[in-house]
Amino acid sequence: MSDQVVLTLRAPLEHRLEADAIVPDRFPALGARAIAGLPVWYGGRPATVGDLFTVTGERSERVLMHGDLTWAVGLGTGMVGGELVIEGAAGRDAGLAMAGGVIEIRGTAGDNAGGAAPGASRGMTGGEIVIRGNAGADTGARMRRGLIAVTGDAGQGTGRGMIAGTVVLFGAAGAGTGRWIKRGSIVSFGAVARPASFRYACTYRPPHIRLLLRYLATRYGLPVTDSQVAGRYHRYSGDLAELGKGEILEWAGA
Amino acid sequence: MQIDGVTIADTFAEAFTMRAARVVITGKNARWARQAATTMTGFATSVIGCKCEAGIERELSERETLDGRPGVSVLLLTMDKDSLPQRLIERLGQTVLTCPTTACFDGLPDAPDRLPVGKALRVFGDGFQASKVIGGRRYWRIPVMEGEFLVAETFGMQKGVGGGNFLILAEDADSALAAAEAAVDAMRHHPGVILPFPGGIARSGTKVGSKRYSTMIATTNDAFSPTLRAITESELPDGVNGVLEIVLDGLDVPSIEAAMRAGIRAACRRGVRVISAGNYGGKLGPHHFPLRRIMGAAAPA
Repeated sequence: MSDQVVLTLRAPLEHRLEADAIVPDRFPALGARAIAGLPVWYGGRPATVGDLFTVTGERSERVLMHGDLTWAVGLGTGMVGGELVIEGAAGRDAGLAMAGGVIEIRGTAGDNAGGAAPGASRGMTGGEIVIRGNAGADTGARMRRGLIAVTGDAGQGTGRGMIAGTVVLFGAAGAGTGRWIKRGSIVSFGAVARPASFRYACTYRPPHIRLLLRYLATRYGLPVTDSQVAGRYHRYSGDLAELGKGEILEWAGA
Repeated sequence: MQIDGVTIADTFAEAFTMRAARVVITGKNARWARQAATTMTGFATSVIGCKCEAGIERELSERETLDGRPGVSVLLLTMDKDSLPQRLIERLGQTVLTCPTTACFDGLPDAPDRLPVGKALRVFGDGFQASKVIGGRRYWRIPVMEGEFLVAETFGMQKGVGGGNFLILAEDADSALAAAEAAVDAMRHHPGVILPFPGGIARSGTKVGSKRYSTMIATTNDAFSPTLRAITESELPDGVNGVLEIVLDGLDVPSIEAAMRAGIRAACRRGVRVISAGNYGGKLGPHHFPLRRIMGAAAPA
């Protein structure tokens, strides 16, 4: 057993890599050889993790990945625990339908991070995803529970169809952010393109934001300022075309 | 045994096992955190008439609270584990939820016994409440006219100790009060301990039951009442004309002992003749605090 399993990309990816076998909570039962033998699809052909990555360490639920994984799809799909740290960009569907654990992406994330599989009613149902960069479209789409924090901008449809949970955006958010959400919170420090079906409620200092932002600063070292922690937020309720119990909290300054 | 001319009686305080919760109340500033804590711990001197005992443990700085605001730590104890959640729901619902700017957190997050206090209070939100899981713990956001009240979903419960005490036997009431005030000042803010009586001091110590009224479960401690010296089996030495009692509740025995040691030491001053303690012959309470052993532990080697 080691402190962590390190997967280092042998060569830059040139094709789509279906990487949904890389799920940290399964690794404590696997030795280095078994990890290297995990099946993936690369460029539409069957391959193994060992074909594409060097594997260091074994039997740990903390997994560290090095390399540009923009082409890697579905990292941490369905994970229920453990920690996946990606030192670089990640492709679409990271944390797809995850239920627990932590994914930290130290680069940009592709579309549908923490989202739902095609046709599924729910995206992530627990756990935390921290994206230190920009996120693609549909981040947190249909999420049921859990926390996503994006230090950069997020694409269109962020939080689309959320059932509950929290998305924190340090940058701007694209069109359709929060559309069709039932419950849940989208907290934004940048500009948000709100759907017309959200209605302004009030400007106040939400007590849970203090807790949430202090947690993000302490746990992940995110660049939270005092004026964000103690600041005022415009509250927009929505989506009124749905249940209407969701909210977009837009930072309004100290 | 004597400390600064004050006799430490060869007796012990007898205390009971209770169930305890620690509530951390924060506010926009110390004034409002303190206000909520003071209101919450009002009318909570004794389980005999108040159903619970509660007090302020200490004030907390911004660095010590989850939301980074000034706070106050409160301990609340009951005799049984079934009534603790009910007392918390009543008191948090009526005194903290109602108090401007406050939020309410669990001060015993590692206690395995969990009480669904916030989970019960959430229904005040009439369906408009919402929950948030932050750092693995669930909180309820209850909409109120000011904005939102934030409360932890569950609070930890652990065994506590209630009824630690000592008696200050003084030459007169003024000397007893001055000594008791000094004791309270020395004990206040000891971690894990509260002094539930007014200002930390009780003047109306009790004995179990009654000599005259069968329905009374506690009546005046006539053996320590100076005005009854001539007509009852008094335990007061000559020259004692005023007695006050300090009652302590806490999370564990070592905390109570440490506070008693500090309090008794401070109470040993001019005008005080004897430090004694209340007990029931050792037959009722499982926790015994022998005064001389406690104070001996404080003596220099």
